[in-house]
Amino acid sequence: MVSAERLAMPKPAKFTGMFRPNTGQQLRLGARSVYILPTGFGVLWLLAVALLQVVGIQLQSNGALMMSFLLLGLFLLAMHLTAFNLQGLEMSCSAPPPGFADAPLTYPVVVRSRCHRDQLRIAFIQGASVRENTTVGVTDQEIQPGQSLLSIPWQPQQRGLQRPGRLRISSSAPLGLFRCWSLWEPPMAQLVYPARCEGPVAESCSDAQGNQANLNAPQSAVGHDDWVDLRPHRAEEGVSRLYWKSLARGRGAHAKVFAGAQPSELLLGLQPGLPKEQALNHLSARIWALSATAHSYGLILVATTIAPGSGSRHRDQCLMALALLP
Amino acid sequence: MSGHQRLQWLALGLLATLLPAIDTGMPLSWGAICLMALTALKLREARSRSELRRSSLLLLVITGVMAALLPGLGPSLIQLLTTLLALSSLLALELGGALQVRTLLGRSLRLLAAALPLVLVLFLLVPRVGPIWTVPMGQTARTGLSDRLDTGSIADLVAVDTPAARISFANEQPPPPEARYWRVLTLHSFDGQRWERLPGEDRFDALARSAAGAANQQGTGAREQFWLAEPTLLPVLPWSGQGQPLDPDLRISPDGVLLNNRPPIERRAYGFTDLSAPATWKRQPPRDAALEFPVGLNPRLQALGREWKDTLAPADRVAAAQRWYLSQPFRYTTKPGLLPGPHPVDAFLFDTRTGFCEHFASGFTALMRAAGVPARIVLGYQGGDWVPQVGGGGYLDVRQSDAHAWSEVWLADQGWVMVDPTAWVSPLRITAGQPVSAGQTPRQFSPLGWTLLQWRGIDLRWTGWVMGFNRQDQLALIERLLGKRHEWIGVVLVASLALCLALVLPLMRWTQRRRDADGLRRELDRCLERLHGLGLDPLPGEDLGHFCRRAGQQRPDLDGVLDELARTYLRQRFGPAQPQEERQASSQRLRRLRQQLSRAPAAAPNPQA
Repeated sequence: MVSAERLAMPKPAKFTGMFRPNTGQQLRLGARSVYILPTGFGVLWLLAVALLQVVGIQLQSNGALMMSFLLLGLFLLAMHLTAFNLQGLEMSCSAPPPGFADAPLTYPVVVRSRCHRDQLRIAFIQGASVRENTTVGVTDQEIQPGQSLLSIPWQPQQRGLQRPGRLRISSSAPLGLFRCWSLWEPPMAQLVYPARCEGPVAESCSDAQGNQANLNAPQSAVGHDDWVDLRPHRAEEGVSRLYWKSLARGRGAHAKVFAGAQPSELLLGLQPGLPKEQALNHLSARIWALSATAHSYGLILVATTIAPGSGSRHRDQCLMALALLP
Repeated sequence: MSGHQRLQWLALGLLATLLPAIDTGMPLSWGAICLMALTALKLREARSRSELRRSSLLLLVITGVMAALLPGLGPSLIQLLTTLLALSSLLALELGGALQVRTLLGRSLRLLAAALPLVLVLFLLVPRVGPIWTVPMGQTARTGLSDRLDTGSIADLVAVDTPAARISFANEQPPPPEARYWRVLTLHSFDGQRWERLPGEDRFDALARSAAGAANQQGTGAREQFWLAEPTLLPVLPWSGQGQPLDPDLRISPDGVLLNNRPPIERRAYGFTDLSAPATWKRQPPRDAALEFPVGLNPRLQALGREWKDTLAPADRVAAAQRWYLSQPFRYTTKPGLLPGPHPVDAFLFDTRTGFCEHFASGFTALMRAAGVPARIVLGYQGGDWVPQVGGGGYLDVRQSDAHAWSEVWLADQGWVMVDPTAWVSPLRITAGQPVSAGQTPRQFSPLGWTLLQWRGIDLRWTGWVMGFNRQDQLALIERLLGKRHEWIGVVLVASLALCLALVLPLMRWTQRRRDADGLRRELDRCLERLHGLGLDPLPGEDLGHFCRRAGQQRPDLDGVLDELARTYLRQRFGPAQPQEERQASSQRLRRLRQQLSRAPAAAPNPQA
């Protein structure tokens, strides 16, 4: 019997506040963690039962009575079958891959089932309602026996380590008379990069000496083919550009300033004068665009600096720094 | 058009095939027709899931209404099929439309089977109530006995070979042919030519008010005789004249007529008990009308009657009439033609002497009244074919062509006595059940006819045990279950439902799990069994791939089959999860391989031979 299932108001989606979500790394759906209520169609079905009862009584017809009892029997049966469709299902988190705040993310959930399950609808509830009518299609899927990995779409609201909120897993199979559901808050957070949004970013080139050249300086002007000038050497610049002759001549340490055709290494930063989030979005877009080319780039944030580099690991590191900027 | 929509159209089409059979005199039949039109419109328009759901619920409701209108076995089977299709379409909506029709039908069949115990418990134990209000019912033209005996009225009916009633007996023994008289009506009013019922005679409600004594005690014993009568024109039903009806909507009038309180346009199923008890209506003294005789219209008959009245005792007057009938050259025919002249009964008895049961009964009854013996005409059926059923037992098949008229006379010491003058003139008509002189050929045996009769027998049982289960049967059942503690029925009902669920649900889960996990494994086991028959057995610890390779070396002729077997099974079992169709396809492939293995010879063919 399903007596342990808590019954409450008939509009589950609107009254999500009343239903306590399950928490924990892993969830095994049992009689105590699923809710079940008849759908609107189920109520209509009961009306049909009543109608056929009246016809059967009025005409003293066993045929109509039998039909109404059949519908009633199916109703009773469907209640349990719908609950069974959920019960015994095990869900657990797996490490979620990072993603951008502007695109729908997928959150991986590992589902284990001993038996075949009919169409299950698995979606995150955001705000007050299930995202059923958005473009991120909520589809019903059947679960095969064994273990399977589901990717559940959700739309993050902001950057950072975000938890997608409540997962609602529901089913109305086999007849659509009942909707059985359960809520789960997966504890594992997903890393969300700032949304990508084209716009100005603070750029600086690190010149041969590691100097931050003037913003908007011609990018190809500073290289290391031939040195054109000298400037005082700083300890952190290392020895590769030290002008040994001047040091030997006792004129102090100078560093060579090179000029050449090679692109300089770009350092990106927050555009001053813009709100922080917007500036982060611009940076995110720029990094995404640069990572598609062979350019190397670095990042200077408030307290962090990431030396120029390229490749996907470097990109992810930069994006993570953006995401986690307090 | 999507699959579930096609299923619903099919169900609607099946229901439409039942339409010609429904009786438009019932207001409900128009309701059913309107519902069907509505469903068709809805199906045409339906796009969304909830609309399609609702249209399949509408289909189920129509099926229920149809079950009320057409309770026969044939329509019931069609209704069952419709239910199956409507459920399949609901399943298809819920489970995604990609499933095969066969899978869907299988699932809905399992669902129906699982619901069956619940239906049975509800059907047997949910307390029955009587109709909430009475609906006036329309009349439609239908063949059957009318409430008057006019020249030719029965002769017309004899030409109609449609079913009138079916009778089954608890002891499976039909009465002998000469005792198969099924009375429907008594006619008292005589105008010199035509017999009619008395106006206002035997109304059901009048009987209920006067509570006509012992004649209408409700029977409570076991059912000894079961009747299934086709719709009639009149609110009266055929019966044997013996026993007590088990149905509260049936009463026996003082004239021995079975009055029906339900609309006559329904097919009526009813049972009798206490068949051996003496019938009380036989002792009810005659009405004044039983001696009414219009003087002067049939002078010769009147003279003959007066002669007997003056010379003989009442019982001897009946014997005298029999002797007189036998002495005259009467001839039996269903086409007697019109009786000439102003004295029609005289003309028959003394001039043409050619007639049919209605003429014989009319002449005899008039003669008895002229002779001072209270007499009346009884209309009903005589005969019926005994149809042995394949599974044992049988039923008596009474048709409209068995319509008959006979007489009853009141003898003070015996009560009402049945007299059938037709039997004197044409004994064969009574014993053979054939209007032989009518020029009809006796019913021939034909496979189609035989199948039809068998089918009608199964239909009778279906109606008798399922459709005929009524409040009285239910009370008897509850009495047997609970004795006098009727108030416990609610508890018993809920407990039985819970028990059914507790049995059915684990069974469903178990079969589902078996089907899920082991459809493939079962096929593999069958294949291995077959290989064992060929002398090929896996070694302990040997895996399938290795075994198949080794077996393929032993039997090079089977190498291809074995290789495919191993690949199919291993891919399905250990490959990435695949949709249900794919798994079924793999099972089918294994089945095909097993068939190939079965065809393989027991020993490898010798390539040198």
